[in-house]
Amino acid sequence: MNVIEIKNLTKNYRKSRGIVDVNLNIEEGEIFGFIGPNGAGKSTTIRTLLGLIYPSSGTATVFGKNCIEHPDVRKEIGYLPSEVFYYDNMRVIDLLKYSASFYKKDCTKRINELAEIMDLDLKKKIDELSFGNKKKVGIVQGLLHEPKLIILDEPTSGLDPLMQQKFFDLIAQENKKGVTIFFSSHILGEVQKMCSRVAFIKEGKIIKTEKMSILQENSYKRFNIETKSAMNKETFNMKGVSSLEVKNNSANFIFKGNINFIMQKISEIELRNISIEEPDLEEIFLHYYAKED
Amino acid sequence: MNIFLYEMKSLRKSMIMWTLSMLALAALYLSIYPSMAKDVGDFKKLLENYPETIRAMLGINLDYIASLLGFYSMIFSFIILCGAIQAMNLGVSILSRESRERTADFLLVKPVSRITIVTAKLGAALTTVVITNIIFIACSTLMANSAKTGEFSLKIFFLINLTMFFVQIIFIAIGMVVSVFFKKIKNVLPISLGFVFGFYMIGALLVTDSSNKVERMLSPFKYYDITYIIQNGNYEALYLLIGAVIVVVAVAVSYIVYNKKDIHAVS
Repeated sequence: MNVIEIKNLTKNYRKSRGIVDVNLNIEEGEIFGFIGPNGAGKSTTIRTLLGLIYPSSGTATVFGKNCIEHPDVRKEIGYLPSEVFYYDNMRVIDLLKYSASFYKKDCTKRINELAEIMDLDLKKKIDELSFGNKKKVGIVQGLLHEPKLIILDEPTSGLDPLMQQKFFDLIAQENKKGVTIFFSSHILGEVQKMCSRVAFIKEGKIIKTEKMSILQENSYKRFNIETKSAMNKETFNMKGVSSLEVKNNSANFIFKGNINFIMQKISEIELRNISIEEPDLEEIFLHYYAKED
Repeated sequence: MNIFLYEMKSLRKSMIMWTLSMLALAALYLSIYPSMAKDVGDFKKLLENYPETIRAMLGINLDYIASLLGFYSMIFSFIILCGAIQAMNLGVSILSRESRERTADFLLVKPVSRITIVTAKLGAALTTVVITNIIFIACSTLMANSAKTGEFSLKIFFLINLTMFFVQIIFIAIGMVVSVFFKKIKNVLPISLGFVFGFYMIGALLVTDSSNKVERMLSPFKYYDITYIIQNGNYEALYLLIGAVIVVVAVAVSYIVYNKKDIHAVS
């Protein structure tokens, strides 16, 4: 079953770019990563999904229902915005209780559990909290009603590494219970660790949606080579080499395929230096994109 | 219901402040009345020196100024101005609050429709104004009773007071409809003061004679002519109707626009 279905979703803004023809299906129980640079359209997609923004065309549904026509479906959603702001003059516990009052069930126990995990002082006033602590309020606020779908928009900004770890553990636990996670980020590392599938968005368009396992199976390596004598571009004209750049005595490229072939080729050259690295996710994506185009 | 209660709670302080200020204003002026009533001849002479237009602007009617109701109608134009500012503040701030305090990402992703949110918030604003008026009418009636030098009609006193409620409802509606067209309102007071004083000045400058039917329509402050109320013990139906139309249209537009609005990320 698809928890989130986004079909041909387009949002035009008068001035800035919105999103163009976005298609996404997210299945129940998966952790789905949504990757893209800042301003690529991640937040626009999420806000349309939540019913905060009206689409120019296309549809976005959660559990088969549109959030604008069926606001009730938001009961099943926990949302953590990238920047959290709450009514300043309230105490944390009052805000959380106000939040809980929308879901028509007793959330007191869950509030206390979450506050303890996240090390959050419930009695403090919200305007006295630091940015990181406000974020914690946001996390508790997003999870207190035990939603079936958790939407995270750049969730880790403002959290120290220890809290990030606790937060990811918490999300992993929820996922084990069967909760679907939709997770947007511009930090590739954190997505790489957690997600089962990822979609890459750039300039308002989805470039590629792929299983994490497939991305990792295809071993991509980034080679940087320095040689004693000048190289010919033709040397590396072989299957699996891409993004090749040759400049006098140095060359760098991405290689995909049997690593032995490329090693044989390199062994024919007299090297001064070599480094072989894991390319980051963005490079893999861009590489993917360039090839299939 | 939870939104309504929450909004009521956060409006409580300002409601008390406004109500007390208006009562203080009424008390201040009414306390002058007994001594003024004694020297009514001098007082009238003083006012006669004012140009006709100034008198009209201030709502002074020489025929009635000596009576408690006439005197009250003069001071009431200031109280009603306060009431209008209170109401306009409510109207402008209530829906724009989410964008101002950047809490839209909290409230608008809750499992409630925007219609429900507008209704709850409008309800809270109206309730605030109703409470303000109940307290004000009760207290000012007591004050008038202790300041009176002769008998006066409680019914007309009530009818005069009730015009503030009508004006306030109109300004809540205007405030709301103004606010939904803004992307973000950082500061409520300049907008509400601008509109209220704008309408007040339009009323004061254009409408020097209550028979100017068309000009009167331009300012809600001129819909309820107190001299007419004192003379007839009633309101002018035409302006009651205009007031009602403005409220209905403004509220309807507010619902529609707010419901269709894109709520952007905080910046």
